Amino acid sequence: MEPGEAASFILREYSKCMSCGFCEAACPTLPFGPHRGYGPRGRVRLASLAVENGSISAEGVAGIYTCLLCAACMLRCPAGVDIVGVVRLARELLARGAIRAPERIPLRLVG
Amino acid sequence: MSKSRHSRIVEILRERLGRDKVFDNPDVVSLYIREPEGISADEMPDAVAFPESVDDVSIIASTAYKYQIPIYPQGSTTSLSGSAVPFEGGVVISSSRLRKIREVSIVDSYVWAEAGVRIDDLNVELAKYGYMFPVDPASSSVATIGGAVNSGAGGMRGAKYGTMRDWVLGLTITLPDEEGTTMFIGCKTTKCRQGYDLVRLIVGSEGTLALVSDAVLRITTLPENVVVAVAFYDKLSDLMETVIEIKSSRINPYIMEFMDSKAVAAAAGYIKPSIRAEGNMLLVGVDVNYEATERMLSTLRDIMAKRALSTYTAQSFEEAERKRLLDLRRSLFPSQVLNARRNLGKDNVLVIIEDIAVPPSKLVDAVEMIKNVSDDLGFDVVVGGHVGDGNLHPSIGIDPEDPAMTKRAHEWFLEVMKIAVKLGGTVSSEHGIGTLKKEGLRMELEAHGAAKALEIMRSIKRIFDPKGILNPGKVV
Amino acid sequence: MASASPLKALLEFLRDSTLRVGLPVPLPMEEIYSWALPLRLPRMGSVILYTGALYQLMPYIESLTRYLSALEGSRVSDTLLRLARILIATPKLTRTLLAPEPARVERARRILTNISRLLSSSGVAHAYPYEDDLYSGVLLYDLGLDDAFAEVAGRVYRKLKEHGASTVITVDPHTTNILRNVYPSYVDGFDLEVVNYLEVLSRAAEESRIRLRGLVSEAVIHDPCFYARYLHIIDEPRKILERSGVKVLEPRRSREATYCCGGPVESVAPRLASKIAETRLKELAEKSKNVVVLCPICYTNLSRANKLGLRILDIAEVVEAEVPGSGSPQ
Ligand SMILES: Cc1cc2nc3c(=O)[nH]c(=O)nc-3n(C[C@H](O)[C@H](O)[C@H](O)COP(=O)(O)OP(=O)(O)OC[C@H]3O[C@@H](n4cnc5c(N)ncnc54)[C@H](O)[C@@H]3O)c2cc1C
Ligand code: SF4
Ligand code: SF4
Repeated sequence: MEPGEAASFILREYSKCMSCGFCEAACPTLPFGPHRGYGPRGRVRLASLAVENGSISAEGVAGIYTCLLCAACMLRCPAGVDIVGVVRLARELLARGAIRAPERIPLRLVG
Repeated sequence: MSKSRHSRIVEILRERLGRDKVFDNPDVVSLYIREPEGISADEMPDAVAFPESVDDVSIIASTAYKYQIPIYPQGSTTSLSGSAVPFEGGVVISSSRLRKIREVSIVDSYVWAEAGVRIDDLNVELAKYGYMFPVDPASSSVATIGGAVNSGAGGMRGAKYGTMRDWVLGLTITLPDEEGTTMFIGCKTTKCRQGYDLVRLIVGSEGTLALVSDAVLRITTLPENVVVAVAFYDKLSDLMETVIEIKSSRINPYIMEFMDSKAVAAAAGYIKPSIRAEGNMLLVGVDVNYEATERMLSTLRDIMAKRALSTYTAQSFEEAERKRLLDLRRSLFPSQVLNARRNLGKDNVLVIIEDIAVPPSKLVDAVEMIKNVSDDLGFDVVVGGHVGDGNLHPSIGIDPEDPAMTKRAHEWFLEVMKIAVKLGGTVSSEHGIGTLKKEGLRMELEAHGAAKALEIMRSIKRIFDPKGILNPGKVV
Repeated sequence: MASASPLKALLEFLRDSTLRVGLPVPLPMEEIYSWALPLRLPRMGSVILYTGALYQLMPYIESLTRYLSALEGSRVSDTLLRLARILIATPKLTRTLLAPEPARVERARRILTNISRLLSSSGVAHAYPYEDDLYSGVLLYDLGLDDAFAEVAGRVYRKLKEHGASTVITVDPHTTNILRNVYPSYVDGFDLEVVNYLEVLSRAAEESRIRLRGLVSEAVIHDPCFYARYLHIIDEPRKILERSGVKVLEPRRSREATYCCGGPVESVAPRLASKIAETRLKELAEKSKNVVVLCPICYTNLSRANKLGLRILDIAEVVEAEVPGSGSPQ
């Protein structure tokens, strides 16, 4: 996908998100992550912030790359947000350098 | 808060708690400022803290007191009243790392769990013993114990089992004072007369009186079986007649839910049901012993079918799942979202869910009046709710980018609350006051000649939170 | 606890290796196709069995992950991965260095052999592309390396066409999904019919074209996310197991609601992957000591975390074609 298209896809999906958090109930990574960035609600928001800002923090990158793309979250989402699509396209934008990111990524785990 | 003061406070908290328990990274902090009804903080708080123990909570409370920093307890931030949003800067305290179930005691009929445990996760554990925690907000998959206690949550089983206030035996609370005083209040027994009932004061206090680290909750047995019936009625009055007859037949349903014809149409458009879904829907579940299954089901079928357009039944919850009898009710929320998108012709919509209760005998009047004010204000309202306890959730969809519509929605919100008060009901049955319903609370108390109650509440707040730093701006 | 991921170095390594060698870990191609040699499958045909190399690669990826996870958190891993790019020119050396357990390598071969036999016994003749059984590029797609992925997808498609394919039979969820649902938007004129061997087999069993035999009497099933939620291949494995006389037990989270094994992040965050696997294993253990998996990634990641002594088996290790007259039950 063209970077512009990917960016507007991410923003559009985020605009659907109500922040209800229902998706989080199904997410395998969230309980072991240090914060919501390791879960679907957080990842969608992180991706849209990254697009808006043109950059993302290391903590945000960790959230984006620890996603399993397992789609368990999407089964729960009342708003039909394409969470997996958002995460994958955020990775694409990162890989293309369309979103600036630090080189070293902290991975924190709890529990 | 000034930049240097901000970074100093974050540093102090990090020193006292450990680096990995405090985040001031704006990417992370921004994940803790928004509630599902679009209520969001304009100003970013300074940090989010993640206590991992009661001691951590106490350290945060005393530090906040010393430096006069606003603090905001948060569970899953699914509150619909603005009560979990950090409006005035400061530090969000997330319960997400307080996730241990400490003890399940069958003989003493309680579970002791930390504030961040989700209700559904608690029930997965309890089911292993054949038990359950019966308060089931529609958000139970993510709603935390701390959040449910503090918002005084209820749910579908409310008519039979009540709300949070009926199930909390004891709480470990921490006060925002010099020591970060921590104590256990209440008992581990159902019967408990510990002077003034502080436990019930905390329940529903929306994080404005104390920080809750863990709770001792009553539990009850899972029913042996639940029979289910769904029926559709042309007129709402027929549906209510049916409810009255059910109650008069000495049946105390496990769940008793209703959706008006518009809500049914929206949900039917969303899930493409296997049953003929037209009219106002009544969904009833009755818990029974296995042996009584047939008898109860036929009684229920007879009563429900009498006035209905169509009736469907199932011998058990499992069968109801297979026949997809619960799907319409379950898809109420997503179908509202879809409905709003269709009506407004855009993706970015806000679904506003009201939460009033009226005496069940006034339900028909209430729905009628709600429809009228909604029509007057130009909103397409759908109504669903818990008929058993008179709790109604009228909802409308709005365009958050349209200021005129947002203003009208605010008016609608007020009008609906007025209806509740007029019919002798309450402005909030389970979602709480937060920032959204402060006006409604005043209105309701004044209508009862109880304006003084608000003053008492404010004084209580000052005793618990002398510096006014705990979830400021909420409730009172 | 915090540690750092050598994310960038890892991405570059995977990309370069896949582009140059055709595999995300640089190995000699005979590692991928040698399992098929004894079967004498034809090289050309309209129906091609395409493994996408995933079963064969997993033992190597597992040892790579072991290195990465030993190094998780240290800066050495970056440097090491950068150095490792030299390996791309010398696949034989990689094989020696990674030195996976021979039993694991053997197992992958046995599974693929059985799959091919099951297909033949169902009356589905198939060819095999041997040295062109390239990796599909799933990881590149998942990690957002789209340009590299598009190149890989185009190459894989061309190779399959060169072998005469009009139908491709795939054997794992990831390869099936990427070919069926993703290739069409990356490869111009993509015209291959993509079927999964479980679909073929369950139909054959239903139509009594094959008689199956199970090697365990009961097992709890672990649905892979990609079969369950992306491809809706849910009833097929159950039918196959039941027709084989294996009693299928359902874990608490199963079918569409299945819980991931953690495998997809095993190279980026190995410790996280293990924690997820442990959580899942506990849930599976509540139902049976025998666990049936349907995906090589699930197998690897669950096995790595298996501290409960569960018996984890691929469905193609549990089910085999019953040879007429071999005196089996029934
Ligand atoms: C779609 C939808 C449906 C819903 N349905 C229902 C329903 O049927 N019934 C119902 O009652 N509610 C319902 N809710 C509202 C809400 O989900 C519940 O009130 C829930 O219990 C809140 O839990 P939470 O963990 O999200 O709390 P939060 O939203 O994070 O917090 C709620 C309040 O509790 C306080 N708080 C949280 N944790 C602590 C703590 N440890 N110590 C002190 N204070 C704390 C917060 O400051 C806030 O004031 C619904 C919400 C949504 C989005
Ligand atoms: S796809 Fe990613 S965000 Fe969604 S449940 Fe799986 S790991 Fe969590
Ligand atoms: S479930 Fe959907 S709408 Fe709700 S927070 Fe998750 S992505 Fe947003």
